[in-house]
Amino acid sequence: MPKRRDILAIVLIVLPWTLLITVWHQSAIAPLLAIRKVCHHLVKEILIIPERLTIHRQRLADDGTETRHDTGPATDSKEYCSQDKDIVEVVRTEYVYTRPPPWSDVLSTIHVITPTYSRPVQKAELTRLANTFLHVPNLHWILVEDSQRRTPLVTRLLRETGLNYTHLNVETPRNYKLRGDTRDPRIPRGTMQRNLALRWLRETFNSNSSQAGIVYFADDDNTYSLELFEEMRSTRKVSVWPVAFVGGLRYESPKVNAAGKVYGWKTVFDPHRPFAIDMAGFAINLRLILFKPQAYFKLRGVKGGYQESSLLRELVTLNDLEPKAANCTKILVWHTRTEKPVLVNEGKKGFTDPNVEI
Amino acid sequence: MRMRLKLKTVFVLYFMVSLLGLIYALMQLGQRCDCRGHAMSKDQQISQLRGELQKLQEHIKTSELSKKTDVPKIYVITPTYARLVQKAELTRLSHTFLHVPQLHWIVVEDAPQPTPLVTDFLAASGLTYAHLHKLTPKDRKLQEGDPSWLKPRGAEQRNEGLRWLREMGAAAEGKEAAALEEAVVYFADDDNTYSLQLFEEIRYTYRVSVWPVGLVGGMKFERPVVEDGKVVRFHTGWHPNRPFPIDMAGFAVSLRLILTNPQARFDGDAQMGFLESSFLQHLVTMDDLEPKADLCTKVLVWHTRTEKPKMKREDTLQKQGLGSDPDVEV
Repeated sequence: MPKRRDILAIVLIVLPWTLLITVWHQSAIAPLLAIRKVCHHLVKEILIIPERLTIHRQRLADDGTETRHDTGPATDSKEYCSQDKDIVEVVRTEYVYTRPPPWSDVLSTIHVITPTYSRPVQKAELTRLANTFLHVPNLHWILVEDSQRRTPLVTRLLRETGLNYTHLNVETPRNYKLRGDTRDPRIPRGTMQRNLALRWLRETFNSNSSQAGIVYFADDDNTYSLELFEEMRSTRKVSVWPVAFVGGLRYESPKVNAAGKVYGWKTVFDPHRPFAIDMAGFAINLRLILFKPQAYFKLRGVKGGYQESSLLRELVTLNDLEPKAANCTKILVWHTRTEKPVLVNEGKKGFTDPNVEI
Repeated sequence: MRMRLKLKTVFVLYFMVSLLGLIYALMQLGQRCDCRGHAMSKDQQISQLRGELQKLQEHIKTSELSKKTDVPKIYVITPTYARLVQKAELTRLSHTFLHVPQLHWIVVEDAPQPTPLVTDFLAASGLTYAHLHKLTPKDRKLQEGDPSWLKPRGAEQRNEGLRWLREMGAAAEGKEAAALEEAVVYFADDDNTYSLQLFEEIRYTYRVSVWPVGLVGGMKFERPVVEDGKVVRFHTGWHPNRPFPIDMAGFAVSLRLILTNPQARFDGDAQMGFLESSFLQHLVTMDDLEPKADLCTKVLVWHTRTEKPKMKREDTLQKQGLGSDPDVEV
C-alpha cells in the first residue's frame, strides 16, 4: 500500500484544478467589486431622499397582486448591488412622485436664464414653462425680472414650483424699453436681464471649481422639448441646433457639413451675420463663460438680429460650434409667441377684482 | 506489474493533459485581461450605469404616476388640428399633463384619419392616451381669413370624445365600472395654460364643477360668483345672459353624469359663445354647480392664444422652390 505515492498522485491531480479555479475566480471578481462600489453610488443617486419623499418597493407576485412596504435607502442599495442584478432592476423601485427629479451628482447642471416682465400673460407663461422645467434633472432656473423690485407674483410662483431657482431683477431704463406694442428690433429686449444673470454666474462660480454647467437662454414664451435639455448637456464649448418659427421661416438652422462642422447658416434674414441664430438656438458651457469674464451681450448700437452674435463672437469661432439635434436636422425648440389678450371689456376703471392675481 | 505501469501512464497522461489545459486557460485569461483592463471595464460599466440612471429617471416619472390608483381618473378631451404650432402646443401641454396622476388624455384630431405627427408624438409622450379623429364638415369649418369667433370650433371633436367615453362606459364592468363612477371629464384646448393645482381641484367633481378662467371674455378673468357656497351668477363682460356664460376651460363634468345623459352633446350650430351652454344645459342647473378654486376666487387656468407664426419669407421661398425641407417635422 504505497500511501505516499497515492497522496502524491492525488495532490498532482488536484493542484492544477485548484490553480485554475483560483485564477478564474480572481479575474471575474475584481471588476465586479469595483462595479459594486459604483453601483452603490449610483443606486444612492437614484434613491436620494428629500424629506417629503418615500420609497415603496413593489414586488409583483406571480398572481399579479402587489404588496408594498417601505424601506430605507441603505438597505435598498446593498440589496440591489449585492445580488448582482442588472441595474434595470432598480426601475421596480417606486417613488411617490416628487417634483422636480432628485439632484444628481453625475449630470451637469443646466442654468436656464429667463428674462421676464410683467404683463397679463406673465403668470401663465411662467407656469407652463415651470411645468416643462420640472421634468428636467439638474436644472437651475435663473429668472430675471425687468422691474425695480422683485414682484410678489414671481416670488410666490417660484417658491411654489419647487424648482431650484435664483430670482434676480434689474430694470431696463426707459429709453431702452420697448414702447407699447411696437416691435422695434433695434432695441434688444431682455439684454440687461441676461447680462445680470451672466454676472451672477461669474460671481457665484469661480473658474477653478469643478462644477459642470451649461448656460441656456430661454425666453418665457417659447416652447422647449425635454429632449433639447439632454442634447445640450454634453456641450463642451457652444452647441447649436435649429429653432422653429424664426426669421419668417418654418425653422432656421445652422449649416452642417459632412464632417459635422458648422460652416454657415440656413436663414433668409441676414445669413451673413457672424452667428445667424436665435437666442433659443445655442447653449454655452459654464466654463467658457467663466473663462471669458468680459463677454456680455452688447447693450447699445446693436442691429436687429445681431444680439446673439454680440455675445458669441467673444466666446467662440464658427469652427468650435457643436451641432446637436441629429446634426441640426431635428426641431427641439419652437419660437412660439403668445397673443396679447384682448382686454376691452375691462374698460377704463377695470371690471374685474384687481386683487385677484392672474 | 503491468497494472501498475498502466496506472502510472494514466496518471502521467492525466497530469500532462491537465497541465496543458491550465496553460491554455491562463493564456486565454491573460489575453482577456490585456485588452479589457480593469480600469476600462469599470469605466464602461460606469458610463452604462449613468445612461441607465437617466433612462430610469424618465421611466420613473412616467410609470409611477399611473400607479397611484386610488384617486379618481381625469379624462381630458383635447380637440386639435394641423397647423404650424400644433406640435409645439401639444408638446408643452403634455409636459403639464405628465405631472398629473391618473390622467387619461383623449386627443381628437380634426382630420379624416390620424396624422403621423400626432400619432408619433403621443406614442413618445409617456402619457396614457386615446387617439381619435373626426373631420369637421366643410360648412362648419372656419375658412382661411375667417375671424376665429365666426364659427364655434371643436364641437364635432368633443362630441367624438364623448362618444368614445360612452362606448367605454357601456363596455366596462366590475371594478372598472366602479372606477368610472368617480371619474371626471375636462375639455382642455391645446393652446390654453393649465396649472397643476387645477387638476386637483377638478378631480373631486360630483356633477359639474366650475372655477374662474383668466384672460377670456375680453377681461383679465371671468368667474362664477359664489354666495353661501353656491353659484348665483357669472361675472363676465361678454353676453352675461347666456345660460352658462363660462368658457370651455372653466368647468368639468363627472363621467357618471355624461353616461347617464346620453343625449348631452355640443351643438356645432350654436351661436358663438353658446357652445358650452348647449352642452351644460342638458346636464345641470346653476344651483347644482360646485364652485372650486377657493370658492372661485383663484385663477388656475388661462385662456392663452398663440400667435400664428409669420411665414412671409417661407412663402416667398416656396414659390421659388427653395422652401425649407418639408421632411423636417416642425
